[in-house]
Amino acid sequence: MTTTYFNLKNQALLFSFMALVTFSCGDDAAKDENSENIEVEQKDPNKNQLLELDGKVFSIPSPIQTAFLIKNSGMTYNKDVLNVPSKVTSYSTNFKKAVNLGIYGADLGYVTLYDQTQDAISFLTAVKTLGDDLGVSSAFDMELVERFEKNIGNQDSILSLVSEAYKSSDRYLKGNDQNDISALILAGGWIESLYFTTNSAKLTSDKEIINRIGEQKNTVYNLIQLLTPYYNKPDFASLIDNLMELNELFEKVEITYTFIKPTVDAAKKTTTINSTTTVSISNELLGQITEKIAKIRAEAIN
Amino acid sequence: MKKISFKLIVIAISLISFNAVLAQSPCDSSATLCEKNITSNYISDGQDYRALLLDDEIAEFNMVLYGGTTYRFAACSGFSDGNLIFSVYDKERNLLFTNKEYSNSPYWDFKITNTLDCIIEANLDPNVAASGCAVLLVGFKQ
Repeated sequence: MTTTYFNLKNQALLFSFMALVTFSCGDDAAKDENSENIEVEQKDPNKNQLLELDGKVFSIPSPIQTAFLIKNSGMTYNKDVLNVPSKVTSYSTNFKKAVNLGIYGADLGYVTLYDQTQDAISFLTAVKTLGDDLGVSSAFDMELVERFEKNIGNQDSILSLVSEAYKSSDRYLKGNDQNDISALILAGGWIESLYFTTNSAKLTSDKEIINRIGEQKNTVYNLIQLLTPYYNKPDFASLIDNLMELNELFEKVEITYTFIKPTVDAAKKTTTINSTTTVSISNELLGQITEKIAKIRAEAIN
Repeated sequence: MKKISFKLIVIAISLISFNAVLAQSPCDSSATLCEKNITSNYISDGQDYRALLLDDEIAEFNMVLYGGTTYRFAACSGFSDGNLIFSVYDKERNLLFTNKEYSNSPYWDFKITNTLDCIIEANLDPNVAASGCAVLLVGFKQ
């Protein structure tokens, strides 16, 4: 458990060191050796679209999936777990704007699932404001707002519209050398989603919801991997350190996986994954994770 | 005269469209191709996974798939379907699926009974391309 923490910490330091070396030495060496090639490389539109570490790409599950689980558990709508849309104007740095774009997106998914139309419009407005500020107004444009308004009452269409907008923003950011912003948006969505889940677990003690918390063990690790290359950028270190501490707690969650051969329906192009997973998480650990994510989330929204 | 004008307009529009396609990066073109396979009954996971591949390089996508959910993976490279081979493994590296066994199908659905951590590996079909952008899109339905 501790080993993983130190590995992650070392990785963060290594990335910072590599970034410093690249920053301080890269220019001169490159110019001396072959400035023409470097120029060509900088113009390559795909070069910066990669979110890779040693050839690996990390995914963070959509917050909408967890909102579905919470609603299906019978939890009633709880506005208190959401960020406040009017706070949008208080976010002045790109770091805060990006994290809260993710947080508001998760909130928007949550209120949409509970058919809270008025709240949904407030969150969409907050999302659009941050999207404009971060230069992704093409994803969160007036057309989206109009289509959103036209589809009010049609939950599936609204969820699709919002998810597509976030995907467009993700594509734009990755294509424009802003993988750090893209990673922060994903981080914000995940933090808010885990915050919903821990609050719901506290209120209901629903086994499925508690399991979903334990199932975040690998995602918190993936999230750290996504953010670690930017450890030396302003504000990133604090968030990553907090996530590392959270990861330490998640390392104590016991997950038992048993492989069972999948079944395939080739005609329907469908494979059913039959393997089983059991999650074991003590009440004490659940409390510690709940407390930690609340702290991380409070730092993000305030 | 009218016929000539019409032909000129058609040629001009074709050239503009062709240039627009060329102006897109290979990743964007592949992503556009991939999108048509995430049909409207699936909600996007909000992410755009890409990796540039050369020769026999393999891109690795790390993902958590939640129980009780059906996922659709759409995998593309280049300007036509079937250029990308993708395989899904669990964390113990048991092979769960490969589209190689299904004529490099550009999409496939996965019904997940229990949450699992998985790895999706993608590589170019060597019979089709030597380099290109691998794009993976993920949609889900409850």
